[in-house]
Amino acid sequence: MQSTIEGAPAFAYINVDLEPGETVIAESNAMSSMAADLDMAAKFNGGFFGGLAKAFLGGESLFVNHFTNNTTGTRRVSLVQGTPGNTRQIDLNGNMFCLQPGAYIASTPGVKLGVKWAGFKSWFAKEGLFKLTVGGQGSVWYGAYGGLLEKEVDGEYIVDTSHLVGYEPQMQLKIQLAGGLFSSLAGGEGFVTRIEGKGKIIIQTRSLSGLADWVNPRLW
Amino acid sequence: MQIEITHRPGNSAARVSLQAGETITAEGGAMIAMSGHMQVETTTHKRDKGSILGALKRLVTGESLFLNHFTPNGGPGEVIFGTALTGDMMQFQMGSGPALLVQAGSYVASAPSVDMDMSWQGFGKALFSGESMFWIKLTGTGPVLINSFGAIYPIQVNGEYIVDTGHIVAFEESLNFEITKAGKSWMASFLGGEGMVCKFIGQGTVWCQSHNAGSFGTALGPILKPH
Repeated sequence: MQSTIEGAPAFAYINVDLEPGETVIAESNAMSSMAADLDMAAKFNGGFFGGLAKAFLGGESLFVNHFTNNTTGTRRVSLVQGTPGNTRQIDLNGNMFCLQPGAYIASTPGVKLGVKWAGFKSWFAKEGLFKLTVGGQGSVWYGAYGGLLEKEVDGEYIVDTSHLVGYEPQMQLKIQLAGGLFSSLAGGEGFVTRIEGKGKIIIQTRSLSGLADWVNPRLW
Repeated sequence: MQIEITHRPGNSAARVSLQAGETITAEGGAMIAMSGHMQVETTTHKRDKGSILGALKRLVTGESLFLNHFTPNGGPGEVIFGTALTGDMMQFQMGSGPALLVQAGSYVASAPSVDMDMSWQGFGKALFSGESMFWIKLTGTGPVLINSFGAIYPIQVNGEYIVDTGHIVAFEESLNFEITKAGKSWMASFLGGEGMVCKFIGQGTVWCQSHNAGSFGTALGPILKPH
């Protein structure tokens, strides 16, 4: 399997070239174009209850698509997320990674998706009540609305609400006010997320709630 | 005429450099900036031919009723075009090849030697292709500017290829396309979220856009306040 990410950083999409017998799994509606002789099958996202959990709690789809190459040559499928922005690939080798709801796009069959309780503080931070975990062996593609920044944290770091995309599972999330009470309200930052620990976090440069906050007063 | 497209694929704009007396025709509203001595003529039809009926047809396709014709007066000049939705732009040179069918709304500008007409692809395709109801058919010779929501990538079709509805920007007339299911069954197709897809058959190029405004709207819509 070969894959490349094109169109980055504004409109990133993934070209996956499947060898005969290979499969790639993608969230609902991720396919933008594909060779006509690839087989596509919709399956529950980790069993019926697993799928329900991921759909209602993890912001993912109930069904995922399995794209399988049952021909004798290499075939391409192009995968994309709904929002414009950047896309990254991570290779897992037995380790785990946490993704915010909606960030997952696609993965190879050896990767397992799970849902974990993220705590009420995560909900206050507009990061959702649950987080999606990915683990196992293989590659995962995830994306965001906006560009992606990687940051190695050692100690603590603060991320604005709704801008966190992913983080390594050993990190702790805490919610706090941006500044004092006045500065948080007047300064427009409100609540922020404090990340503690040692590891890597991924930040998106824009947020859908930020865009909605800008559009809403202009709707008549 | 020289055309330079900058800031691809996210915030594309096209800078067109014209010699004195050269004209470029563009949809209403596409101009961002232009030289001070540029002459602009607004008509409902092409410079030398066409009629109000052609304009009304264009209105139905989703393009503007009016076309602007830019000609620099007395020396070379330039005009810069942009589009409403952020995305990619592409220049295509029409020549001896097949006619180009462009998704309504993706047309930006063309040289006057390119003819523009509205094309109807049948009810099934009009309602289910995820594109607008009508297509604009371009024939003739000369450069054409097309835009999209998402990065534009070409696919050389030799046999069959599937493109998701809402992801087609333009295709050569030598290709046929039909609306079909994505998986082995309609259930698989709908459960998998793809629904209907377009299958292109034949020989030719189809230009796809990586994203579609519908999916972005579905992500943004629920958090906008009701009005």
